[in-house]
Amino acid sequence: MRTLFAAFALAALLAGTAGAAGATPAPANAYCYIGWPNDGQVLAAGKPFRVWFGLRHMGVAPKGVAFDNTGHHHLLIDTELPPAGQPIPSDRNHLHYGAGETETMIELAPGKHTLQLLMGDENHVPHVPPVASKKITIIVK
Amino acid sequence: MRHIIVLAALLAASLQTSAGRMDTAPAQAHEPASKAAAAPALNPPLNPASAQLYFIWPYDGTVITGGKFWVRMGLRNMGIAPKGTAVPNTGHHHLLIDTELPSMTEPIPSDRNHLHFGAGETEARVELPPGTHTLQLLLGDMNHVPHKPPVLSKKITITVR
Repeated sequence: MRTLFAAFALAALLAGTAGAAGATPAPANAYCYIGWPNDGQVLAAGKPFRVWFGLRHMGVAPKGVAFDNTGHHHLLIDTELPPAGQPIPSDRNHLHYGAGETETMIELAPGKHTLQLLMGDENHVPHVPPVASKKITIIVK
Repeated sequence: MRHIIVLAALLAASLQTSAGRMDTAPAQAHEPASKAAAAPALNPPLNPASAQLYFIWPYDGTVITGGKFWVRMGLRNMGIAPKGTAVPNTGHHHLLIDTELPSMTEPIPSDRNHLHFGAGETEARVELPPGTHTLQLLLGDMNHVPHKPPVLSKKITITVR
């Protein structure tokens, strides 16, 4: 019977650990920003442009890498910040840079767009508190 | 009795698996998703052979007043990973100040002229005395050894007033 309790305790422990894995603390003073383009920037349509990922007081590590005070970049396009405590979605509005990239080329349809960077931990979950850049607006025309 | 233990073990295993799946789902979707949104040709596959290491700031010839500044380290076609991390097509930054390139087959020295950014930093706050200084970036692998071929930036010269 004791073994039984031990087994259940183990099961509960494993479940607990898996749940807690999402809460990675953000480094103090971590500062994330979009180095380029600038807020309000007008960009030529039909031409890819580079987005620079700025990060201070924190390091970059690829997905799946557990290293203190690191995370990897996610670029949010035309969307709000996703919910805290769960992995950042991966779709056309949430681009993942899990290989440790620090810049990217993107091309957007003509019109007004918003861009925002959000760091994710080794499991793609935002830190606590989230390390996100200011949301900027760009115009493609 | 045995059945119950097996059941518990299964429960534990399934909980772990589902948690694992949740974690890896975005990872697996990552490459195709980012490419779908940004068109495949925009970001070529990461590859040290075509990597470019460069200074976002300062520029060659920049004059800095006061001597304290942020160096912003730029890298294309490769990713950043902290020291000791074995992930393909990654490395970490080293900033060489007022020095020539070190050996390309040994770990990069660690001293005042060779700053290591083994925590995956992509920017560095640097303070230099007045005068002319050279800056160069050199990427190191998980063991601080330059890649083959080495991934290095142009050497720039700045002036501190």
